[in-house]
Amino acid sequence: METSKIFIGYIIYLPIAIALTYFVSKTLFKNGKTFMIDIFKGKDDIALATNRLFEVGFYLLNIGWALLILKINHRNFNNTYQNLIEILSFKIGGFSIYLGLMLFINLYLFFRGRKKSNRKSQVVTQKLQQPQS
Amino acid sequence: MNLNLIAYSIYLLLASLIIIKVGFICYKNGNVFVTHLIPNDKEFCIRINNLLLTGYYLINIGYAVITLSGWSSINSFEQMMESISKQIAIITCILATLHYFNLFWITKFIKNFK
Repeated sequence: METSKIFIGYIIYLPIAIALTYFVSKTLFKNGKTFMIDIFKGKDDIALATNRLFEVGFYLLNIGWALLILKINHRNFNNTYQNLIEILSFKIGGFSIYLGLMLFINLYLFFRGRKKSNRKSQVVTQKLQQPQS
Repeated sequence: MNLNLIAYSIYLLLASLIIIKVGFICYKNGNVFVTHLIPNDKEFCIRINNLLLTGYYLINIGYAVITLSGWSSINSFEQMMESISKQIAIITCILATLHYFNLFWITKFIKNFK
C-alpha cells in the first residue's frame, strides 16, 4: 500500500495543531484562574467552574477549526515534497496566528469582566456608605 | 474491505467520545450554577441538571448519527481522513457555539439573581 504525500502531510499537521492548542489553553487557563477568582469575589466554586467551562469552549472551538482547515486540495498540489512543506507551513502558521488572536480575545474578556465586577462593587460600597455619612 | 465502514466506525467512536466527555464536564461544573440559581432545593437542582444532560446527549448523538446518511463514498485513506475531520470539525464547532451561548446566558442570570 503506497501512502501518498498528502496523507503524510495530514499525519504531520494533526499532532502539531493539537499540541499547539493544548499548550495555549493550558497556559491561558492556568493563569485565568486568578482573573476568575478576582471577578467572582470570594465565590471560588463558581470561579473555578466558569474557568473550566471556558477552557472546554476554547478547546472545542480551536480543535474544530484546526480540523476544518485540514484538507489539502489536489489541484494546488504538484506532488513534490517542497510543495508539501510550503502548504504545511502556510496552514500551521495561519493556525498559530488564529490561536494568538483567540488568546487575545479571551484576555480581553477576562479584563472586561474584571473591570465590570470592580465597578459594581464600588457602586455597592458607595451605596452602603451613603446612609451612614 | 470497504473504507466507508472504517470511516464510520472511527467517526462514531471519536464523536461519541467528545460528546460524552464534554457533557460530563458541563454536568459537573453546571451543578454549581444551578445550585446558585435555585439555592433552597438541592434535590430539585440535581434532577434539573440530569434532565439537561439527557437532552444534550439526545440532541448531539442524534445529530452525529444523522450525518452518517449523507456521507460521500470514500476511495482512499486521505479521503477518509478528510471526510472524518470535516464532520468532526462541524460537530465541535456547533458544540462550541452552543457552549459559548450557554456561558453568556448563565453569567447574565447569575448577575441578575444576586
